[in-house]
Amino acid sequence: MAIVAFDLKDLQKANRSKEKLEDVLTRIGVEVEELSKEEIKVNITPNRPDLLDFVGLSRAIEHFTGARPKDSFYKIENKPALTINATGQIKSVRPFIAGMIVKNANLSGNRLKYLINFTEKFAETYGRKRKKIAIGVHNLSAIEGNLTYEAAKEGKITPLGSKKSMAFDRVMKEHAKGVTYQDTVPNYGSKSVLYPVLKDEKKTIALIPITNCEETKVTEKTKDLFIDITSTSQISIRNSAAVIACSFLYAGAEVHPVGITYDRQGEEIPKLEYQEVKVAMNRAERTIGIITGRHNVIDLANRMGYTAAKYGPNVLFYVPPYRIDVLDEQDIVEDIAIAYGYDRIIPLAISGVSVGMSNEATDYENKLASAMVGLGYTEAINSILTNEEMNFKNMRTTSKQKDYAMIAESKTNAITMLRTVILPGILQDLSASANATMPQRIFEIGRTFTVKNGKIKESKRLAIASEHAKADFSEIKSVVEAILRYMEGSYKIENDNDATFIQGRCARVTLDGKVSAVFGEVHPEVLRNFGIEEPVVAAEIILKEE
Amino acid sequence: MHEYEARVLGLLAKNKSVSLEEIEESTGLGKDSIFWAVESLSKAGAVSVKKEGAKLVQVSEEGKRYKKEFPEEALIGRLKAAKKEKISSIKDQIALGWAKRNNWVKMQEGSVSLTDEGTKALGKEYQQRALLSELDSMEGMDVNDILEKNKEVATALMKRNLISIKQKTTIREVAITKLGSDLVSKIPKDLGIGALTKDLIKGSEWKTKPFRPYDINAPTEASYPARPHPVREFINVIRQKWFEMGFIEVEGPIIESAFWNFDALFSPQDHPTRDMQDTFFLSNPKQLTIEDIELMNNVREMHLAGWKESWSEELARSAVLRTHTTSVSARYMKKLAKAMESTFPTRMFSIGSVFRNESIDYKHIAELRQYDGIIVGDNLTLANLIYTLKSFYSKLGLDDVRMRPSYFPFTEPSIEFFYYDNERDTTVELCGGGIIRKEITKAMGLNKTVLAWGGGVDRLLLNQKIFGVESLPLLYKNDIAWLRARGNIKV
Repeated sequence: MAIVAFDLKDLQKANRSKEKLEDVLTRIGVEVEELSKEEIKVNITPNRPDLLDFVGLSRAIEHFTGARPKDSFYKIENKPALTINATGQIKSVRPFIAGMIVKNANLSGNRLKYLINFTEKFAETYGRKRKKIAIGVHNLSAIEGNLTYEAAKEGKITPLGSKKSMAFDRVMKEHAKGVTYQDTVPNYGSKSVLYPVLKDEKKTIALIPITNCEETKVTEKTKDLFIDITSTSQISIRNSAAVIACSFLYAGAEVHPVGITYDRQGEEIPKLEYQEVKVAMNRAERTIGIITGRHNVIDLANRMGYTAAKYGPNVLFYVPPYRIDVLDEQDIVEDIAIAYGYDRIIPLAISGVSVGMSNEATDYENKLASAMVGLGYTEAINSILTNEEMNFKNMRTTSKQKDYAMIAESKTNAITMLRTVILPGILQDLSASANATMPQRIFEIGRTFTVKNGKIKESKRLAIASEHAKADFSEIKSVVEAILRYMEGSYKIENDNDATFIQGRCARVTLDGKVSAVFGEVHPEVLRNFGIEEPVVAAEIILKEE
Repeated sequence: MHEYEARVLGLLAKNKSVSLEEIEESTGLGKDSIFWAVESLSKAGAVSVKKEGAKLVQVSEEGKRYKKEFPEEALIGRLKAAKKEKISSIKDQIALGWAKRNNWVKMQEGSVSLTDEGTKALGKEYQQRALLSELDSMEGMDVNDILEKNKEVATALMKRNLISIKQKTTIREVAITKLGSDLVSKIPKDLGIGALTKDLIKGSEWKTKPFRPYDINAPTEASYPARPHPVREFINVIRQKWFEMGFIEVEGPIIESAFWNFDALFSPQDHPTRDMQDTFFLSNPKQLTIEDIELMNNVREMHLAGWKESWSEELARSAVLRTHTTSVSARYMKKLAKAMESTFPTRMFSIGSVFRNESIDYKHIAELRQYDGIIVGDNLTLANLIYTLKSFYSKLGLDDVRMRPSYFPFTEPSIEFFYYDNERDTTVELCGGGIIRKEITKAMGLNKTVLAWGGGVDRLLLNQKIFGVESLPLLYKNDIAWLRARGNIKV
């Protein structure tokens, strides 16, 4: 999701009221995040990068409220007036480039700001933080001669906003954008780093995907632009070029293609092609569950920017080139549903019954929880996410790293692994409940995880703890035996020496021949580790193990 | 005079002045009863009470970890070596916030570097850490003086939830007054029959002798029943609603391959939610096996055709903590495709934990619960989906549920259900859903239409009509006092 802000007055043309604007936006699937006196902030879903653009969003509103361009509105008839020669090792760094020349662009008022915001957000979302797509906007008149796209070991550029020419590695270290986007340059930080650069015949006009040069900076008065798009993916670069070209064409500017040569293989970009998608006449109605009629279906599609041809059992829809999200008819059907209005769809019961059925394991957990509540224990639910200190050290136990599930990267050092036992969690709960009256009796039913031979082993367990001045071994033994009787099986209780418990006051249970519980009086050091002041007796019972 | 008052006064008649412990020992009364009796006698002027107030400190788990080093100290330590770090790469915003507040760092052009003060701080003991260590060694003791002396730093520690302070008032000494002494003589020798005993019942004394009336307004200790956790109670409510609507309950793995969590659901491999920033990946085990090779090949084809970019099996095998329970629905779709005999429509739901790589604070937690469901059949429509979910929410008492367009890689059309919260003047998302893309059902070999949805369990508990808990971290704090006294699930 990306949030974009516009001045309210810019989107309120034709005396559209604030309420009406909000309503239209909501109905076309654009969530209004904030609406103040002067400004509107909207949330654009990742499938519609074309709406990040002021022109794109205005176009969607205009289509929805009635105006639409003719079938073949988006086309490029001009010939390339400029060439970019992609050469050398650029292929292994950031292989793809596209360019276009825009003439008679209107960048007055807020338009320049919107254009820059659009290209930035586009590169941030669709372009995966510039890794996949980066866009540069230049003043055409400051470009001297044809362009070369290459990978350079070193070089100099006067970065945007700066007065002095700087070496590339300095830009990476000192310029804000250089610092932010360091990881978009492959091998940055090593000696073999190669910077993707775009040069005209006199200077470096862009250090990609970091910054343009100051010399080609665009102002509100600039009319003629050169735009470069670079990428690691060929399909993304075509899509991006189409979205940008359509935006300028819709706003009334001229778009001229740029010739690209990759080692003598030539290509012209942008190419604007209408995707043709056939939709069975009643398919939309049957998917949405409405009856509205053929003409209405086509009219609804028109309001989402599609044009229709060929009537018959199938309708042929022309998908405008900026709709890079449309894969097939499903996407068009969705747009018809959106134009129809989700709130207008009449809910319809499904014919055909089925019988509900519960999951046995959940039922068993519920029964066990009832039994524990009956014994006077209150239930806790803790997260399976924990850390080594809590899970092992506080419990006076250890484990080899290969034996438990570890988290690769987390935002907090409180989360480094998945719990192998439940008990630490409820001991932590007792510690956090110091103000509640004693006795405090608590239990949790949940999953724990270990790793054996590189494979996850999940088990379902019940942990029990009781804290009060007179808590002792016989109390917990009595509760554990009550649960064992409930679990129905033949069990044996033997001495155990689990370091979490006091030696000589700790027992292990084997149920039908398998170790299934440990219980006893919790060791004072463990209590100290958790900040618990009164005696605690506890048990951990394995209910099911893989 | 109440029996408890009489007992306390009787003791004081002998001893003049006693401590709380002595009263407890001699009268055999509980603390609450003694407090009440002493308070009542003191109001009547029969005794004088000396009270004692203490401030007890508790250092939180986080606080204990900070004893070694505060995150802002770690940050400036790193900056000393690196000179500069870009703001966007600093994960710990709290550390950055404090380093800034302490004037240890400055921010310029998107990067952070040390100030002179920051360099000086490197050699000095950090005030917050010094106080924290001192307080940690004084758990259970009165720390009033220390807190008074270091007010500002102590407030900071409290705000950061590194320490918590409890006020404790207790009775130190109770002495009898002249009025009290006079009252002692007026305590009748025989108050009547007290507690009923086995012997009394057998005997006949009760036929002639009066029962001593009890003060029915005297306070008693509160009793709270042991209870299941509200989340369990509410999940059972939700399960019940799905059963009523003909749904089968299913469960699935929490540790899931990226394949089932993302790829099988048509989520592109470079999608931002597949970043380590948002999803928990495991480093042990790093990879899981994908058992169904045919399905994997179908999914690969689906990605190549749809996204027109390369698809990596290695990425698909990464072990992740599932980010939604839709993975359970995906597995069930495949199961249905393989099953020889299934009757349609089939309705299935699952409820379980899902995970987001969040920094945990008063607003965010990393493990939440979700319900997911699918209906599989022929000729199912968006109108059917709307009917199903509106019925479900109406069973939970939410009648003004509305719909808006949305986007998920695996559904087309996609829809979001929400309601308008008048109190907070905002819309609250209930669930997202839609019709599963036919690319996905095709890859699974399931020649049916699938309606699907998923929504948060926990956030429904924030709703006043359902439960009305203030925040999700509170819901999972497991404070026993709260669990005992909490309100009921209202649906």
